[in-house]
Amino acid sequence: MIDISAFHEALGILFSSISAWGWIVPGLIIGLVFAAIPGISITMAMAIVLPMSLYMDFFPAMVFLTSVYTGAGFGGSVPAILMNIPGTPSSFATTFDGYAMSQKGEHNEALGYALFASTLCGIFGYVLLLLVLEPLADIVLRIGPVEMFAVAIWGMMLLGSLGSTYISRGLLAAALGILLGTVGMNTAGFTRGTLGVPELLDGIAPIPAMIGLLAASQLLSLAGRDYIIEAEGAREVSLRRILKGCWGTLKYPGVLLRGSIIGVVIGAVPGVGSSISNLISYAETKRTAKDSATFGKGNPKGVIAAESAVASGEGGSMATMLALGIPGGGATAILIAAFMMHNVVPGPSFIDTQKPMAYAIILNNMVQAVVLLVVGIGFIYAATNVMKVRTRYVLPAILVVATLGTYAVTGEAAGPITLFVFAMLGFALNRYEYPVPAVVVGILLGRMLETEFLRSYQLSAGNPLYVLERPGAMAIFAVMFISLAMTAWGKRKQNKAEAAEAALLRLRHDADAHAHTTPSKG
Amino acid sequence: MRIGRQTYAIDYGHLALITLIAAAVFWYLLDARSVSLSVNNLLLVQPVAIFALAMYLFVLPQCFRKVDAREAARTASEQDPLSRNIPAERSDMLRMAALSVSLGLLVLLLDTLGFDIAIFLFTLAAMVICGERHPVRLLLFSCAVTLVAIYGFRAMIPYPMPTTLL
Repeated sequence: MIDISAFHEALGILFSSISAWGWIVPGLIIGLVFAAIPGISITMAMAIVLPMSLYMDFFPAMVFLTSVYTGAGFGGSVPAILMNIPGTPSSFATTFDGYAMSQKGEHNEALGYALFASTLCGIFGYVLLLLVLEPLADIVLRIGPVEMFAVAIWGMMLLGSLGSTYISRGLLAAALGILLGTVGMNTAGFTRGTLGVPELLDGIAPIPAMIGLLAASQLLSLAGRDYIIEAEGAREVSLRRILKGCWGTLKYPGVLLRGSIIGVVIGAVPGVGSSISNLISYAETKRTAKDSATFGKGNPKGVIAAESAVASGEGGSMATMLALGIPGGGATAILIAAFMMHNVVPGPSFIDTQKPMAYAIILNNMVQAVVLLVVGIGFIYAATNVMKVRTRYVLPAILVVATLGTYAVTGEAAGPITLFVFAMLGFALNRYEYPVPAVVVGILLGRMLETEFLRSYQLSAGNPLYVLERPGAMAIFAVMFISLAMTAWGKRKQNKAEAAEAALLRLRHDADAHAHTTPSKG
Repeated sequence: MRIGRQTYAIDYGHLALITLIAAAVFWYLLDARSVSLSVNNLLLVQPVAIFALAMYLFVLPQCFRKVDAREAARTASEQDPLSRNIPAERSDMLRMAALSVSLGLLVLLLDTLGFDIAIFLFTLAAMVICGERHPVRLLLFSCAVTLVAIYGFRAMIPYPMPTTLL
C-alpha cells in the first residue's frame, strides 16, 4: 500500500525542512481568522494569500497554503456555533445543532466537538490518501493523452453541471473557462485572441484571474453588507468544557467514520466539495440516528457529522489533485496554481517522479491537523473579537492586499488590471448563478486540455475510431455521459418539485389574502 | 413584455451578460479561424466555441420568465423608480457599483498617482462606500492600510513599487 523507500525519503524531506514547519501556525491562524469573518470563504482566504507563497520554496509554500486550508475548515464553524452565522458555506450544517447547543449554554462543548472532529477526520482523510496514493499511482501511470483528455473533460463537466442550479449555465461557464485558458500561443505555435497585447502571448495570467474571480468578485458583493455582531457572542470560554467536548467526540465513532467517508468521497468528486458534503453527512446521520427527533435542538452528533465531512474532504480533494492534476474546486485550483508558480505540474508524472514530496505534503497535513487542536483552542478565546470586525474595515484592506498580491506575481500593472477585469466577470457570473470555479478550472486546464487533445490527434493520425482502441477512455466518456444525464434528470425532477411546492404556497397565500379581504357577513 | 396574452418579465442584466459572453466567444472563434484553418489550431477551440454558443441558446430562454398580469403589475409598483423608498437590493447594488468603480480607478491609477496615494484614496473611498462616516477613523485606518501595504509588500517583492510620498 505504501512505497516504503519513498516514505523514508518523505520523512527526510519533512525533518530536513524544519523551516517549513514554521509556516504551519501562521497558515492556520490566517485560515481561522479569515474563515471566522462572515462572508470570507476558504477559497477567498487561500486566493488572497497565494501571492505570498510565490517567494517561498515549493515545500514551505505547500505547507503554508494547506495550513490555511486546514485552519479555514474549522474557522468557519466558530461563528456558526456562537452566532448562527456560518463563517463559510462549508459550516452551514454546523449551525443546525451547534447554535442550538450554544443557546443551551453548551457552546464550549459544541466547539470542542467541532474542533476534535475536525482534527480526527482531517487526519483520517490524509491517512486514507497516504494508503491509496501508491495504488492510484499505478493506475494513473497507465493513463495516456486520450484518457487524460477524457478525465479533464469529465472534471469540467462535473464542475459545470454540479456547481450550479442550472446545468446549461454551468456548462457555458466551463466552456468559457476553457476558451479563456487557450488564449495566446498554443503548443503548435498558433496565436489566438491576444488583441495584439504582448502580455497575452503566454495566455491570461492565471493567478491574477483566479484572485479576481474567486476573491475580489465576492468581496465586491459584500459591499452592501455590514455585519454587526452584537455582544451575544461574548460568551464565557472554558478550556475544561472545550476539552470535555473534545473527549465526548470519541463516544460517536460511527458518526465520525460515516462523516469522514462521505467527506472523502464527495471531496474527491470535482464540483461538489465541502459545502455539500457537510449537509449530506448531517442528513445521513440524522436519518440513521435513533434520536433523530433531537437533531436541530442541540444534538452533538449533528455538529460532529457536519465537521467530520468538511475536514476529511480536504484529503479527498487532494487525492484528485495530486493523482490527476484536476482541481475539484476553488481551493484545490489555488493549490494547483501554487504548483504551477513553482514550475511543478501535479498529476501522474508528479506522483511518479516526486512521490516522496507527495508523501511529505500528506504527512505535513497530518501534523497540521494535530497543531490545529492547540491553535484552534487558542483561537476560540480571540474569536469573539475577530467576528466583530466590521465589513467596512475588512473589505478595503483585503482588496488592497489582493491587488498588490497580483502585482507581486506579475511585477507590472497587467496583474492588477487582470484582477479587475476578472473581478467584474466573476461578480456578474455569481449574480446570475454561474459556477465561478468552473471558469477558474477552465483557465487552469485549457492549455493542458488542448495539448492532450493535440497529442491524441497525432497518435491517432486523425482517426476518431482510435478511441475504440482505448477502453479506459471509452469507459470514462460513458460514465461522463451517464452522470451528466442523471444530473440533468435529477435537477429536472427537483425543479418540478420546487415549482409544484411554490405553486401550492402561492395558492395558499392567495386563499389567505382572499379570506382577509372578504368582509365577514352576519 | 407581452406576447399574445402572456406577459414576460425580462432579466436584462442576465441577457446582457450572456449576449456579451456569446459575442466574445464568436469573436474568438473568428479570430482563431482568421489565424489558420489548420486542425492543430482549431482542434479544441472550434468545438468548444460552438458548444458555448449552443449553451447560449439553451440559457437564452431563462432570461424570459412567464408572469401573470397581476403579479407583473404588483412587481412594477414595487419597483417604481420614482418611489421614495429605494429597495434595499438597489442600494446594495449602488454600493457594489461604486466599489467596483473605485477598484477600477485604483488599478488604473497605481502607476500614475503612485501606489501610496492610490491605495490611501481607495481605502478612504471604499470605507465611505461601506458606510463609515467618522472622519478620524477614516483617516487613521486609511493611513494604516497604506503604510502596512506599502512597507509590507516592498519587503516581500523584488519589483519596484512607484510611490509619491513613501
